[in-house]
Parts: sequence; structure tokens; C-alpha cells
Amino acid sequence: MMIDERKLEILTESAKYDVSCSSSGSRRANKPGGLGNASVGGICHSFTPDGRCISLLKILMSNECLYDCEYCPNRKSADVPRARLTPDEICELTVNFYKRNYIEGLFLSSAVFDSPDKTMELLCETVIKLRKVYNFNGYIHLKGIPHADSALMMRAARAVDRMSYNIELPSEQSLKLLAPQKSKQSLLLPMKGLKEAMDYDRINKVRKNKVLPAGQTTQMIIGASPESDGQILKLTEALYRNMDLKRVYYSSYIPVVKSNKLPAVGAGLLREHRLYQADWLIRFYGFDVNEICDEDENLSPDYDPKCAWALRNMQYFPVEINTAPLAMLLRVPGIGAKGAYKICEARKFGSLDFDNLAKMRIVLKRAKHFITCKGKFYGSESLAQVKTSLMIEGAREFQTQLSMFSDSSTALSVLTGEL
Amino acid sequence: MKIFVTDGGSDSFFTAVFEAYKESECVITSDSNVQMSFDSEVVSVDCDLEKCERVQRGIEKYDKNAIDDILIVLRSCDSLKEQVAFEYIKRLMEHKSPIDKAYNLPEVIVFNELKRKVTYEIHRFTGFLRFMESDSGAFYAPYSPDNDITDLLMPHFAERFKNERFVIHDTGRKIAGIYDGNEWIMSYAGEAEIYLSEYERVFQTLWKKYYKAVNIKERPHEKQMKGYMPVRYWKFLPEKSADNN
Repeated sequence: MMIDERKLEILTESAKYDVSCSSSGSRRANKPGGLGNASVGGICHSFTPDGRCISLLKILMSNECLYDCEYCPNRKSADVPRARLTPDEICELTVNFYKRNYIEGLFLSSAVFDSPDKTMELLCETVIKLRKVYNFNGYIHLKGIPHADSALMMRAARAVDRMSYNIELPSEQSLKLLAPQKSKQSLLLPMKGLKEAMDYDRINKVRKNKVLPAGQTTQMIIGASPESDGQILKLTEALYRNMDLKRVYYSSYIPVVKSNKLPAVGAGLLREHRLYQADWLIRFYGFDVNEICDEDENLSPDYDPKCAWALRNMQYFPVEINTAPLAMLLRVPGIGAKGAYKICEARKFGSLDFDNLAKMRIVLKRAKHFITCKGKFYGSESLAQVKTSLMIEGAREFQTQLSMFSDSSTALSVLTGEL
Repeated sequence: MKIFVTDGGSDSFFTAVFEAYKESECVITSDSNVQMSFDSEVVSVDCDLEKCERVQRGIEKYDKNAIDDILIVLRSCDSLKEQVAFEYIKRLMEHKSPIDKAYNLPEVIVFNELKRKVTYEIHRFTGFLRFMESDSGAFYAPYSPDNDITDLLMPHFAERFKNERFVIHDTGRKIAGIYDGNEWIMSYAGEAEIYLSEYERVFQTLWKKYYKAVNIKERPHEKQMKGYMPVRYWKFLPEKSADNN
């Protein structure tokens, strides 16, 4: 079967702004006579000149859309070339790329053509064909179509590794304004249904054809609408807690599409960066959203959220590296999860001094103001000095990240993904 | 001071450790071009399986995972690898219990660093290896890794492509892992002559088109790309080959 190069280009171009590319979280095994398996940590197969990883073949089945979401380059009223691939074309492409080790699997999405049900039906047919006919056991991430029949969704969920319904915007009002054909319910209900199905499998120890072994994720656009960081993080926390999501991705708004309903300027990289930092604190560092940011507030542009928290809570510091519990080490600015774990392991072999920490590659520029080693303190005594030094350090770190872009004004974050 | 020169294999290394333990000061290396000082004596080590066994049993007594870690470190391209592994073993025998997480000991830091480099390269090539389909239907992947990892990569691909026949060829070391759809072996492999299948070029072209289309050219970040995917690996990647860039 010959696959049209131009079609592949159009449907790749349309899919490439989706942030998620992760192929992790699934242990799907190969079968006798089958092709492929999943690697639980995920594997990157290539990197593009924008610095992002290619793990999955990320394409749309079609970019012909019934909807007219204000921010979307593929919206109905946009004048762009349109294309569609058949289920067999997608299967052939996936299998042949996979056999050459170009990819870890497929990330399939689609614009809504004909009707939500019709679109979901064809997506469903594709992934089931890939599993049953092509005997493909590699990773599949499928994007769910809002408003489609839930039976279709459940059929797909038993065949793929991960699904995602994009929240799109952080509030119902913003959805109404910018994506009027989607509603909060049309996005949250399927998420909830999938979560319940996953819970059922877990409780009943289902092994065969498990629903979504790599769980669900979602994505929202930041800065196209007026929500504060505090609101966004509250929503994020609720999604992690109530929907058991594996990841919430943020995509900072850039004005590609001209519209009087959309801001003329982009949200900027720094804001997105700070949200990801806060997101990590919630997931891996034992922080509560309320500790990080009030509901109507934005995160500080000057300090990363952990620094900002520590500066508000100086009464807990400095902590002694050799005795502080893991939970407290995790709260020291500059010490990451890996570093905290290493300290806990290493101090069993003898007490650690400042030099030991440096050799363990723990970055002390920020941490030194918040720790003691064997009782010795190496930081600044005055809070004003600490603040200045942290601010300079934070700005320098962010600048280095930015300077890697040749044009930072149009730069979007690439600091997302699984890396 | 004695310098024990091994043949580069692990049996030879463990035999050398046995001999080296009798010395107060010595060096183990597989580098026959080792720089000698005027008072050093070079001893070439022959494998002695009994001594090799005894050393391994000694190590296992204190840490049953250490042998696996040492075998990984011995795959490193670092010319000091034998010495690094030897220092680690000495520390382990002193400490009499696992030291792999003693991140404050310099011997452990150096040892873990070499181990990390080898396992990281294995992980990278699970992604960066590129197969091409030959006219016989078998798949062929040439590459040139820093470390000697081909047999460590084979199980991953043999599981993933269990019904295919394939060859992974380390062109620098002139060795290849060969899988026949059932089991795999390692073999010497010099130059290979491959006739491509009818569709190979078609899929390579589609892949290059995909690679180009999925990039967001308004936000170039070459430095990050090269950090994650070093230029020395590009030679075997169709998407980075000269006719594409």
C-alpha cells in the first residue's frame, strides 16, 4: 500500500502542537506471533531541531473539523489544506515505522469530521485493527472525542495504553467563549467513566485487556483566558485527586490565530515553566496547592515556587542534612527528589559534610541558605541577602534555558514531555 | 609496582583481581599500551576459572547484585574501567555489605558514573537504533556505540521483534548480534553488503517527511536536540543523514 507523502505532512503538521509525547507507564507484553511491546519507562527514538523528543507517531486521522474553536489552527472556518487517512493506512504506517525502530508506537487523534460518533468509531476501528489484525503490541495513545458514545470509548480503552480528553481551557466560562461546541461535562464525563473502569479493573485484579494500563492525561491552554495560576493549580490538583490523571500538560498560549476573543500577546514561557514547577511540587514533593499559591494569586515570576514557599516559611530552616527527615529534605530549595533520596541513603554510611554533597552533584547555590552540614551553616545570614541571591540565581537559570532558543519571543516551552 | 594486563574479558579480570589481592599496590588494566614507570612490572593475566569463581563467590557473599554491576562497568570504553571496578571490589570487601548507595565514597561515585554511562547508552540505543529491511525480509541495524553493548541490547529487540529476523552490527568493534526468529547469537562481522527491499526507500522517505513536519521551526532549540541525541550517533539515522539536511 502506498501512503501519500503530502497527506502524512498535513496530518503531522496538524498534530504537532499537542504537548504530550510520552510512551511511558505501560508494561504491555508481546504475544506469540505478535509485534512489539511497551517499555514502562518510555523510550525516545529521535529528537527534532526544536529540542522535542519523538517517541510516538503523532498524527491526526483527519484535520477536517466540524468545530470552530477560536484558538485552533484546524477550526472549521480556517483556510488550510485538509486530508484524511484510512484505518489501514494508519496501521501500515505504524507497523512499518515500528519495525524499523523509528517509533515506540502511535499517538492517534483526530479533528471531528462527520459526527463525534462517526469519528470515534473510525478511531476505534483503527486501534482495534492494529491490535487484532496487525497483532501490534506496542504503545498506543488515543485522544478521545468529546460527545461520542461512551460504548465506543470503552471499546477503545480496552485496546490502547493511554487516553486523553483535553480540558482545553481552565474554566467553564472560557470554554463557552472560545470552544462553544465543547462543554465541561463533555470532557469530564468521559474522564470519569474511564477512571471508574480503571478502578474496577484494579479492584477485581483484571489482567487481560486491562483498561488503559498507562492511564489518562489531559492538556490545557494557559493565558488565552483570564484564570489565575491559583485557579489553574486548584483544577490540576482536583484532576490528579479525583480523576487519577497521570499528567496534566500546560501549553502556553501563542497568538497564531487572529481573533477579538483572544489576547494579542502570548502567555510567555516563564508562566508555563512556573506552573510545571508547581505541578511537580504537588505530585512528587508532598506539597498542597494551598501552600504554593492562593486561589486568586499568580505564581511569583522572581522565584521558583519552592523557593517562594521557603522564603515565606523561614521558621523551618535551616535543616540539618544528616538528620532531617526525607519529607523535609524534599522541601529544601535546590534539592531535588533524586538528591533528597541520595542524601538519605548516603548518610547511613557516615555523616555528610558540604564537600560530600558537592561530590554527589547536589547543587548548593540555593540549598546552602536552608541547610546545615554537621551543624555548619554556609549561607547568608540576612534574609534580604538570601532573597537577592535566590532571585539572581533563579533568573540566571531561566535565562540559560531561554538562551538556547534562537528567538525567545516566539519560543514555546519544550520543557514539558517526559524528559 | 605490578601492572596486571587482562584480555578485556570478565574472566580474565576476575582472575587478575585474585592475583592483585596478594599485592600491596598494583594496577589492573586491559590496555596493553599502558604507560609504564621505570619500577613497574607488567604481568599478563591468563584466565583461571577456579580463581575467577572464588573471587566472584567472595563478592557475592557481601552483595549479590555487585557482579552484575561489575559486568556492566567492564563494558565501558573508559580505559580505567578495570581499575575502577577493582577499587570498588576492595571497598566492598572492606565494608562487608552493599556499598552501591554509599554516595559519599569516591570509589563508589566513580564506579556508579561508569555504570550509568553504559546503561544510559544501552537505553539510548533502544531508541536510536535504526533497522532497514533487506530484500530477504531480514532487518539490519548498523551502529557504532561508545561502549561494548550489542549483546546487552539483543534481548530487548529479540522480545520486541520476536517473529522477525534481524542483525545488530557494531561496525566499530566488528561484531554482530544475529537473531533468527527464535534465538540469538553473537558473531564476528566485518563489512556487510545489504540489498534493500522494494519498500525500504519508501518508508525511509516517509519517515524523513514525518521528522521534518513534526518539528516546530518557529522555536529552534538545536542545542537541546544535540544534548539528547549526540551528533556522533547521527551517521546511522536516516532522518539526520546528509541528503536530508
